[in-house]
Amino acid sequence: MIARAPAPHPVITFIVRRLIATVFLLIVVSMVTFSIFFLLPRLAGQTTYGLAAQYVGRSPTPAAVHAIERQLGLDVPLPVQYGRFLKGIVFGRHFDSGTSKAYCPPPCFGYSFKNQQPVWPMMISSVPVTVSLAIGAAILWLVGGVSIGVLSALRRGTLFDRFSMGVALAGVSLPIFFTGLIALALFSYRWPIFPNVQFVPFTQNPLLWAKNLILPWVTLAFLYAALYARLTRAGMLETMNEDYIRTARAKGLPERTVIVKHGLRAALTPIVTIFGLDIGLLLGGAVITEVTFSLHGLGQFTILAIDSQDLPEIMGVTMLAAFFIVFANLVVDILYAYVDPRVRS
Amino acid sequence: MGVTAFGAVAALALAACSSSTSTTSGGPTPATGFNAGITHVMNPSSQKGGTLNFASSSGIPDSTDPGNTYYAQMWNLSRLYAMPLMTYKSCPGKCGGQVVPMLATAPGVISDNGLTWTYHIQPNVHFEDGTLVTSSDVKYAVERTFDRGKFPLGPGYFPALLAPQKPAYPGPYKDRSKNLMGLKAVETPNPTTIVFHLAKPFADFNYVVAIPQTAPVPPNKDTGANYQLHPISTGPYMFQSYQINKQLTMVPNPHWNPATDPNAKQLPSKIVLTFNVNPNDVDNRLLAGDIQVDLPGTGVQAAARTKILTTPSLKAQSDNPVSGFSWFFGLNTRVPPLTNIHCRMAIEYAANKTNNQTAYGGPFAGGAIASTVAPPNVVGSVAASGKKFDLYEATTKPQGDLTKAKQQLQQCGQPNGFSTGITYRSDRPKEVSAAQAMQASLARVGIKLTLHGFPTATYTSNFAGVPKYVHSHDLGIIVYGWAPDWPDGYGEFYYIVHGAAISPVGNTNLEELNDPKVNSLLDKFATTTDAALRNSYTAQIDMQVMRDAAILPNVFAKALLYRSPKLTNVYVQSYYGMYNYAVLGLK
Repeated sequence: MIARAPAPHPVITFIVRRLIATVFLLIVVSMVTFSIFFLLPRLAGQTTYGLAAQYVGRSPTPAAVHAIERQLGLDVPLPVQYGRFLKGIVFGRHFDSGTSKAYCPPPCFGYSFKNQQPVWPMMISSVPVTVSLAIGAAILWLVGGVSIGVLSALRRGTLFDRFSMGVALAGVSLPIFFTGLIALALFSYRWPIFPNVQFVPFTQNPLLWAKNLILPWVTLAFLYAALYARLTRAGMLETMNEDYIRTARAKGLPERTVIVKHGLRAALTPIVTIFGLDIGLLLGGAVITEVTFSLHGLGQFTILAIDSQDLPEIMGVTMLAAFFIVFANLVVDILYAYVDPRVRS
Repeated sequence: MGVTAFGAVAALALAACSSSTSTTSGGPTPATGFNAGITHVMNPSSQKGGTLNFASSSGIPDSTDPGNTYYAQMWNLSRLYAMPLMTYKSCPGKCGGQVVPMLATAPGVISDNGLTWTYHIQPNVHFEDGTLVTSSDVKYAVERTFDRGKFPLGPGYFPALLAPQKPAYPGPYKDRSKNLMGLKAVETPNPTTIVFHLAKPFADFNYVVAIPQTAPVPPNKDTGANYQLHPISTGPYMFQSYQINKQLTMVPNPHWNPATDPNAKQLPSKIVLTFNVNPNDVDNRLLAGDIQVDLPGTGVQAAARTKILTTPSLKAQSDNPVSGFSWFFGLNTRVPPLTNIHCRMAIEYAANKTNNQTAYGGPFAGGAIASTVAPPNVVGSVAASGKKFDLYEATTKPQGDLTKAKQQLQQCGQPNGFSTGITYRSDRPKEVSAAQAMQASLARVGIKLTLHGFPTATYTSNFAGVPKYVHSHDLGIIVYGWAPDWPDGYGEFYYIVHGAAISPVGNTNLEELNDPKVNSLLDKFATTTDAALRNSYTAQIDMQVMRDAAILPNVFAKALLYRSPKLTNVYVQSYYGMYNYAVLGLK
């Protein structure tokens, strides 16, 4: 009798399948991004000479433009440039700094046209700022938004409900660059409780890290908490009118159990999905919040890359943002796979 | 590059009008009030200590490598860590535009044929690691500028001016000669002498070696493209830590000797520069005293400007110098019908100069209406002389003279006007407003403008600076601005009006002017060693360009700077048009 290997757990199969799809998706994203920034301008008539001229100082000679064309690797065909880009991500690349050949280990996202430095270390040094901002704000808005949403739903029509939903409407409506500037004007300059906001690494001083991030957290969380409060309220109102809630009550379950175990659990399912997407998007760069509070995160890195038309930096940050979004979706899907067996098929 | 300054006459007059206790001669009476920092050293002190905080609403505009930078703010800042052969004298008023020795012991000695310049360097200047600076280190710094692939952002004067060799010198990283000293046009006969051999005479060479590119670089400490992360200092401060576009921290250089560097001071115990701070936040921090200097030196934003100008105590702490930039409209002489001078003159007359000035922010943030091209900081310019040359009534009829515009249109053969395009940098609100203002004012005489906005990053490399593109898209008017690399007529005019400066990509002679009279004056300028004679050409060039109606001047730019009360030794250095960063201290 031949012993057959045990079938892999369906969740593991699901995860492997999704990981393979994720890699494929990221390759597609890289191709699309590369095409947008390198191929399309070429098709529209831009020459590599014209592209190189963007990265030379004032009144350049043709020799100077050709030199930078070679230095930036723009003088080789586009498929070769793309191949080098992919190779760098997988195997790393060497860059000529002049005095030495510097190795850029994988994942090497190329060499900044403007700063003449490998993109990955510059980009990754911005990640702690964005992660600190996104995670802190997420905790605030998740706790605050969901709690307010639940309470509003349970006290529908009361003053609390109307007031909190009014505030929530304001939160959704007011842009961060407005609430952020108001927060700075009040709490940084009028009453300098949080003066001179700047990022301090958690490892350097946890207290200062938190103190400097409170205003950005609250500002960012205000927008999202408002959204989550309204979503939670709507979900709870819908769920609490379901037949099974009536049944649970009829069976004599305590109201607390009915609300938390049966009502909130069902209402939270769509919230989890949206939360995953929001976190993924924010990790890719909370652009407006970072710019408003002068935080050197991925969002600000992106703005600078676009401002200076630094194509490798734009490519790198697009790929990283795509990775965060795909990864966050992957986590949400895996969580779903655990709680809902239908998803695994 | 934004080399800047203020016009001596204008600035002195301004100071005289507004400064409460100062005298225009800068006497011993302490000055106070609005614009006092233009002509006086404010809060003079030798007190040491404290952390001097700079902030900038952008990143480093190009590089902290002295060999790879072309911005006024960086040239100003670099004096804290780099000593080029020459520099600009640290002093307020007109004196701040004077080129003086820094690492060199004296200005260059020129040979009889004008082809050789010799400098002697100070024998007792050290790098931050204690190594003695020699002339070879200066030569090596010049050699680096030949590698345009590694250092594309700085000026290209040395490859253009020095005597060529065959094969062409490739820069030190491909140099196979002994000790990497293969550039034959620069000789170092001994450790304190450096000799430059030029391809042809160039009388402004002292200005060229005042560019930070001559700051010495020790070959064994050069890290190529990474040198920007830690340039080896010869100035009063050295890099402690630097994260590109985030933060730079400098601390005192223990091997700096004040006796060798009278144009800089070593007062604060630390200097911190924070980049990419929200522009309004920069102003708020400046007014709150959290930072002391706004690095770019281009003035506060609209909100802070209003606050400063309407609050007497804040206004008294501010200065409004001419920055050295001139904003103008290039009228392309090769795009029909602007090939006809009368069509260009029609534009000169019809433009509403007041509206153009408003587009740039009005008299405080925009600047003074200009009737000539060179700003008042340029030695020998019409504006600096106090004389007036106003061919198209820019200052006497700033709303425009429609009657004369129509007469010019008749002579041009376009009595009902014509159509052409106007380009501007779409991410610069002032230029967008200026283009729209021109569109409205020229429509009054039937000249129809179509707006063409392009991003700053590709403006001259792909659009407005590509003559082929300009011709094929009928772009007759180009919004632009200019500040000279050094404050004389050659620095001001060569790249924007000399026929030889027209280039197929990255062109800055946006008018494509190729007037033999202008070319000849500039060529004579380059070879005339008599400074007075040389500078007399400046006004002639300016007037000829205006007679050609190739440029419609807009404003001589100004900036409203807030002078933090915490600063000592603070004043506007005319060459940079901003506070002199090399001498600042803290109370």
